[in-house]
Amino acid sequence: MDTKTLITESKARFSHNSAKAYLQEKYSSKLLVAEQGGLWKADAVTINILSSFTTKKLVLIDTFNNPVEVDRKELLNKLKDIYVSATSEYYAEWKELEAKR
Amino acid sequence: MSRGAILFAFNSTKYDYYAMAEYTAKRINHFLDMPVTVVTDKNSISKKSKYKFDKVIIIDPDKTNMRDQAIWINKGRYQAYELSPYKETILLDVDYMVNSDRILKTFDITEDFCCHDKTSFYMHPGVPQELLSAYSYNTLWATVVTFRKTKRAKQIFECLEMVQKNYDHYAAIHSFVSGVYRNDYALTLALRIVNGHTLLPGDIIPWNLLHVGKNTSVYANSDKKWNTEYTVMFDNWQKGKIRKEYITIKDTDFHVMNKDVFVDLIK
Repeated sequence: MDTKTLITESKARFSHNSAKAYLQEKYSSKLLVAEQGGLWKADAVTINILSSFTTKKLVLIDTFNNPVEVDRKELLNKLKDIYVSATSEYYAEWKELEAKR
Repeated sequence: MSRGAILFAFNSTKYDYYAMAEYTAKRINHFLDMPVTVVTDKNSISKKSKYKFDKVIIIDPDKTNMRDQAIWINKGRYQAYELSPYKETILLDVDYMVNSDRILKTFDITEDFCCHDKTSFYMHPGVPQELLSAYSYNTLWATVVTFRKTKRAKQIFECLEMVQKNYDHYAAIHSFVSGVYRNDYALTLALRIVNGHTLLPGDIIPWNLLHVGKNTSVYANSDKKWNTEYTVMFDNWQKGKIRKEYITIKDTDFHVMNKDVFVDLIK
């Protein structure tokens, strides 16, 4: 029996809460990256702080709470790429989820 | 630098762990592009199987652990350090469904050793984290462990051996039931002992281990060999009736706690 038939025959309901929690878990880990000797999360806070400076080097506290001196622009570009690719995928899956409402 | 995965598989009267290991090994080969070594015993090896592990290590397992009135061979995981032929190793439970290359990221986050300290259950968002007991530590998980052959990783595995051999003692101190040996509990204690009774952030995989828990089943959405889409179905008991709920997941690794569900999935 394929899963579509299984869902229909068992009268199963799509669980939006569980699906939302699953997507959050999935994409939160996709934002993580190890670069320049630290572990970073490509989130709004980190990208913003990197964007707000103009210096070549910057000391940042990574997700392990270690201070790491980084090449600011290089890390910023890397995190922006990761942010865009992960959130685009997240958005696409989110739209699929919304369509089931 | 050699890199590979190691699986422990000892058949019980109820489950064919060697078959599970084979299935998981094929997915590791495909998604992680790395060789797999299996640690097993003579009685578990399948003669019919055509799959070739990178290495098959036969040991005489410790059969002193019991679960559900049957022998459950899960002791001896500490031997992973000595038995692994790789400099960088991922030690996985055989019922871990690999659907992506995400575990490879663990090599970037650790110098020595890392494992999960948090879990999430599909269909049960917000379930509290497991503790060894009400007044003890948060459980660490031995389901996915990444390690390198370093002095510190060796210490952790040696400590795991020590905890296993003195499990009743630690159970008494931490007030958990010692009847069934659990690698998760032994690992929790071993890692904390080596770290001076604390946890180092670098030893922790920074995302949650995803479990398929009780009253939950998983069905593959296609018959394709490398399918990564599944329907997760949950029996939600309300007022004496079951209301079935489901979600669809894709490209996400997960650990199946109920072996029957895993066996159905790999058929």
